[in-house]
Amino acid sequence: MKSILSIFLLALISCSSPQSNKLTIGFIDQLQDETLEKAKTGFFDALKQNGFDSSNIEIIYRNAQNDQPTMLQSLDYIISQNPTLIATNPTLPTISAVQKTKTIPIFMMVSPRPDLAKLTDAEGKAPANLFGAYETLDYLDTALLLIKSVLPNAKKVGTIFNQSEPQSVDALARIEKTCKEAGLELIKMPVNNSSETQLVVASLLTNNIDAFFALPDNTVFSSMEIIVKSCDDKKVPVFTSEEGLVSRGAVAAFGADMYQWGFQSGIQAAGFLKSKSTVGLQPQIVSVRHRVYNPAKASQFNLTFDSTFTSVK
Amino acid sequence: MSFYLSAVILGLGFASLAMGIFISMRIFNIPDITTDGSFTLGGVVAAVLISGGHSPLVALPIAFLAGAIAGALTGIIHTRLKVNALLAGILVMTALYSINLALMGRSNLPLINTPTIFNSLFIPGTEIQQQFIVLIIIISIILVTLVWLMKTDFGLAMRATGNNEKMIRALGVNTDVMKIFGLALANGLTAVSGYLITQVQGFADINMGIGIVIIGLGSVMIGQILFSFKRKETIMIQLLGVIVGSILFRMILAFALSIGIDAIYLKLVVAIFVLAVVSIPNIKSKA
Repeated sequence: MKSILSIFLLALISCSSPQSNKLTIGFIDQLQDETLEKAKTGFFDALKQNGFDSSNIEIIYRNAQNDQPTMLQSLDYIISQNPTLIATNPTLPTISAVQKTKTIPIFMMVSPRPDLAKLTDAEGKAPANLFGAYETLDYLDTALLLIKSVLPNAKKVGTIFNQSEPQSVDALARIEKTCKEAGLELIKMPVNNSSETQLVVASLLTNNIDAFFALPDNTVFSSMEIIVKSCDDKKVPVFTSEEGLVSRGAVAAFGADMYQWGFQSGIQAAGFLKSKSTVGLQPQIVSVRHRVYNPAKASQFNLTFDSTFTSVK
Repeated sequence: MSFYLSAVILGLGFASLAMGIFISMRIFNIPDITTDGSFTLGGVVAAVLISGGHSPLVALPIAFLAGAIAGALTGIIHTRLKVNALLAGILVMTALYSINLALMGRSNLPLINTPTIFNSLFIPGTEIQQQFIVLIIIISIILVTLVWLMKTDFGLAMRATGNNEKMIRALGVNTDVMKIFGLALANGLTAVSGYLITQVQGFADINMGIGIVIIGLGSVMIGQILFSFKRKETIMIQLLGVIVGSILFRMILAFALSIGIDAIYLKLVVAIFVLAVVSIPNIKSKA
């Protein structure tokens, strides 16, 4: 017992790192994911363009590997190192960071507007140290209406959603409303984790839907391939709101550019690193949304897209 | 050092869960998966009541009761409907997922500027000191109560049920009632853990319980090995071991995070550290 304790203590002492006078910034990811990776790359590219890279800032990067207690402890560690700022990607680290510190500026990305995440106080104000870029649900209308413009005869749209993800449930409520207004019938089915996706999509496809709309939630992200495969078999095109999903087999999308989302948050963060003042800073709505299509899928379904769409591989 | 203090705080928060797992796993030999659901249930009850303007002190017994009802259900399904204990737990856990979603109305409920159990007890100090003191108090109360309970005739009958069910039934004890009560108690404690962690982290999330049973089992096993040098394992020593195990588990993760291991290997390294801690005493005793 004593030997374990002494090993532990020795290790603790040996890792207390020497202080440097570089600025320290913390970056926390909830999980390992390609889309989140894009936002992270955008964030650090923005810092780099403004003259901040590993030569003059100390970056503490932690990834919670999708485990909530690990995420909390990672944040605790970052905060204990007194960083100049904390960047959070996506929603859950943003919520936790807001709870853990009221003073260190937080630059969020891939997170919803503070009131959608229930982060506003009784007067509707967002936390004073929360900055970065957020998204509302407005883009979903445009994304969904892509179906109408590409497939004018479409009547039935199918979708799956995950009840355990706030953004998924909020997004579903939004597209239900939009479908109603656009005269589309929405057939929805709940999924709780990616192992159920195949079964649920197969059951959805028995309803003769004209198009599938993939909500940008984690279940869809982790099981996109099986969604596309099932839909391909029934000749149903998949539409979505995220570029990454288009490169994985959706026909077209309208939505936030993940790289630019992180980049926008990074620009704000860089401004703060220069001025050391948060005066005039506030959370911003994500500024770059774009239309993209998948040329291979487009020819498979005999669909054409005009020049307002960018093609992705 | 406040970083390691916050790891201890999380460890204490999970200690109630670990004691619950100790009851179901070590006393009754039932691997109780209900834990994943009742942990979230405790957190959800806390978040819903506190954000609804109720005192955290009121939410505490309600969270315990909610967890206890869930545990009792598992116990009833197992003993009365003769369903395998593992399956009974899985069924109640699965059902609780919907119950938790329905209670919260959404999948994530933050507690913004609301009172917590930590700042409602008029304890001086910073937030982190308050958390530490209140958790020590709550875990001590649970520990003392459990030790007392386990030494009563009822508690002894409960422990005997896990040791030799046939014999204890022959002595005229209703073992079904013992199991139902034991699972209720275990899940009540688990829900208290969810209640505490929700207030430490400042939000309840529908996924907060996923895989949590592993944390509890890990703590119980670590505690068991750490205190195996004691010849006489009283219930007090066993429960203390569980609490220390829960804290040590968090400390190991904290240590792994602080030395900045590549994110990809984080879980592997944590597993190796835990292995090292639990195996070193055994290697030495054989030499």
